[in-house]
Amino acid sequence: MGLKSAHFLCGGAVASDLRMRCFFRLHESPEEPHILLECDSTVLDSVQKHLKLYKIRRKVNIAPCLDLSLWAVIPREQPGDIASSLNKCADQTLVLTPDPRTEVMGWRLITKKEANLLDIIPGSHIGNIQDYHRHRYKQGIPEGVKDLPPGVALPLESNLAYMNGISFTKGCYIGQELTARTHHMGVIRKRLLPVQFSAPLPLENIPEGAEILTESGKSAGKFRAGGDELGIALLRLANINEPLCLKMPGDKVKLTATIPKWWPKTAGK
Amino acid sequence: AVPGSQWPCGGAMAAVGLLCRLWRLALGGWASCRPAPPRRGTALPGGSPRPAASASSSRPGQTESEPGEGRVYLSASCVQRLLEVAEGAEFLRLQVEGGGCSGFQYKFSLDTVINPDDRVFEQGGARVVVDVDSLAFVKGSMVDFSQELIRSSFQVVSNPQAEKGCSCGTSFSIKF
Repeated sequence: MGLKSAHFLCGGAVASDLRMRCFFRLHESPEEPHILLECDSTVLDSVQKHLKLYKIRRKVNIAPCLDLSLWAVIPREQPGDIASSLNKCADQTLVLTPDPRTEVMGWRLITKKEANLLDIIPGSHIGNIQDYHRHRYKQGIPEGVKDLPPGVALPLESNLAYMNGISFTKGCYIGQELTARTHHMGVIRKRLLPVQFSAPLPLENIPEGAEILTESGKSAGKFRAGGDELGIALLRLANINEPLCLKMPGDKVKLTATIPKWWPKTAGK
Repeated sequence: AVPGSQWPCGGAMAAVGLLCRLWRLALGGWASCRPAPPRRGTALPGGSPRPAASASSSRPGQTESEPGEGRVYLSASCVQRLLEVAEGAEFLRLQVEGGGCSGFQYKFSLDTVINPDDRVFEQGGARVVVDVDSLAFVKGSMVDFSQELIRSSFQVVSNPQAEKGCSCGTSFSIKF
């Protein structure tokens, strides 16, 4: 599976639905290397089964870590100088590493379940999980199977290449030829982008794969996931600066798309 | 086998192909009517040598495959090549690993150690060994030694469980 690099590496290699995961490697492990794999809890079983399918005879144990907690640590001020204020309690903290995807996602922290967060990060405050999701959608960071449906979401359109999610040097994996060719030579016309509705919209009211249209009624893309007035949508880059609307049964809701600040400067072309 | 003059289809390759086919028939026929000589150190059940047509090892207990486990077949070119390259106790080991452009890949190596979960397939004095986990992925396949312009190598051909894999033949996916 192409393991390398000190703190973390991002992205699965085995098959399409495993691509959208992050791998975390424990910092010091004198004996066998341990790797913690973060995944959407709703697909824990299928991720395990998937890994076991390809394991065959390798001496690898795959087991869920039900005694660990995963935290996102997002700085309130501008990111950058958070490292100095973090106090690592070594016995409670297994992993503390910058989120491999992008600076705006802060840090990833893995602790024992009973750990006291205020000991590990003094001055922090434990927020609501909904705020975390809002932060992600505002920044346009997809996560989990709702944002990245297996078999539907494509790695380049999902901006994995902007999030350190694809290695172009690791050799063969399922879909490697198409991914490498498109990245180096092809044009990516659609991408997942953060969108904002003119007013909060209950998610249950939005049909799956609801179309997003330009003013002239042409299809500009599809809504993927979100909450309240925020969300992410797969949109044609050619249309993102135009006024857009979400097509709903019996209604149209205005929305605007933005190019995330953390995308590389050359992106969005 | 008669040299090319009698086959008007022309081209050395065709003639060689025909030669190989004739040769394989001869080898097959030969093996079925001549019992395999027992290898030194091998204890054969019942005391009398068994014909090699079924092409599986007769080492007691460990390495004979159960009916459900399946087996692999060795092509004539595979047997010939193995007889040429295997030295001493060496045999050809075939393993299946995760990886490659299609999800799984074949790995060939020369080995000398047979483990309790190995299954041995012998033909004409050449041995191919597959562990039970890998055998589940390759049962019913043929192991061939193919010589092409681009490479000469051992290959797994006609795997009934595999979907079309990569063009170099190393990686494959499984029909579910």
